[in-house]
Amino acid sequence: MKTEKETRGAGTPVPGQGTPDPGVSRRRFFTLVGLGVGWGGFLAALGGTAMASFRYMFPTVLYEPPTVFKIGRPDEFGAGVDTRLQKERQIWVVRNERGIYVLVSICRHLGCTPNWFGDQRRFRCPCHGSIYDIDGNVVGGPAPRTLWRAAVSLDPVDGQIVVNFTQRQDPDPKSTPEGLMVNEASREEPPYFLKV
Amino acid sequence: MASKLLEKVRDGVVNTQVWRSIFRHGYPSNDGNRALIMFSNVLLHLHPVRVKRGAVKVRFTWCLGGLTFFFFIMLAITGVFLMFYYVPDTRRAYNDIKDLQNVVYFGNLFRNLHRWSAHAMVFSVWMHMTRVFLTGSYKPPREFNWVVGVILLVVTLVLSWTGYLLPWDQLALWAVTVGSKMAEATPLIGNAGPFGPQLGMTVNNDIRFMLLGGTVVGQSALLRFYVLHCLALPLIAALFMAVHFWRIRKDGFSGPL
Repeated sequence: MKTEKETRGAGTPVPGQGTPDPGVSRRRFFTLVGLGVGWGGFLAALGGTAMASFRYMFPTVLYEPPTVFKIGRPDEFGAGVDTRLQKERQIWVVRNERGIYVLVSICRHLGCTPNWFGDQRRFRCPCHGSIYDIDGNVVGGPAPRTLWRAAVSLDPVDGQIVVNFTQRQDPDPKSTPEGLMVNEASREEPPYFLKV
Repeated sequence: MASKLLEKVRDGVVNTQVWRSIFRHGYPSNDGNRALIMFSNVLLHLHPVRVKRGAVKVRFTWCLGGLTFFFFIMLAITGVFLMFYYVPDTRRAYNDIKDLQNVVYFGNLFRNLHRWSAHAMVFSVWMHMTRVFLTGSYKPPREFNWVVGVILLVVTLVLSWTGYLLPWDQLALWAVTVGSKMAEATPLIGNAGPFGPQLGMTVNNDIRFMLLGGTVVGQSALLRFYVLHCLALPLIAALFMAVHFWRIRKDGFSGPL
């Protein structure tokens, strides 16, 4: 036998009671909560997996050459361009009358490795023909900027030159009839130059 | 006379249960058989032309085949993730696994998902086979799918075995050393098996040599197992799974479970 309450639909005011039925039955309420928890949990798991997968793709340990390295004492490098470290470290060590600077052997056009031609006193890139002088200024070809110079310092203990490959000098060049030029005096400042 | 003999041989091959369960049509000498060749090949016609009412009815099942398939998908996805960091080089493999466990973000999660899914897949595939045996579902007309299932079981076990070598630790090395030693005892094509030596089998020309790409478990074996584990065997498994599922659609479930 059904009671009076059970035969009433949700939302029907119960006679004799001051507060009307809120409109959501108990069954409906728990269904919605169940759906919310269920789908919410599923979406949270999906989102968590997506975030974990994304984070996973960024390695924390790299098997790459070091970016800060020692290359030897200053007296091991004579006047002019030293290309000994081009293959191993992607740098040229250059000594002029005033001291030593380190050029990064990456062409500023599209990243190939130029070659040093001592007879012409020019770096020439084999890929698209960019030409740089001994200071790294662009004197021909498509390169839009001058060669990078890497930061250098002297190790206080053993006196070796320490090169930071990722800290690079990149001044805005002036466009002249000879090419894209940078005032050399402005470049020969620490940490990109060693007065040794 | 000769044609009579030829006909007898043909009948001996064609009128067998094995032939008829694989090729379910006659010679393509009429339109009906020509159409059947298309319809009765999963690669040429993915969805069955006709599905029995009972075969599409969703009923209570043990879910063991479905679970096995779920683990396979899980393994394929997590396996791709592991491939981003793992290099099958004897000098790097062990360190790469250690990196995955201790250095790479969520690397241990993906590695363990792969590892436990692999164990679970081997377990569920055995349980699936046991269920099919106990309910007699291997009987005709499902005998063809039982054989496909046995092939899938073997592929699963070989996948498990080849994956076991990849961490390149002591457990892996000796497990595969022992496992491949067994291959030496294969009749005819193993150097320690029956009639192997008589057929000229030695350590560097038998089936174990072919499997390992050498006489010891070394760099060639690691590379071979890696390629088999990540490429060849999953493709073979996927192909047979397609046939397996398609055949279930054609035959229907084996009855009230």
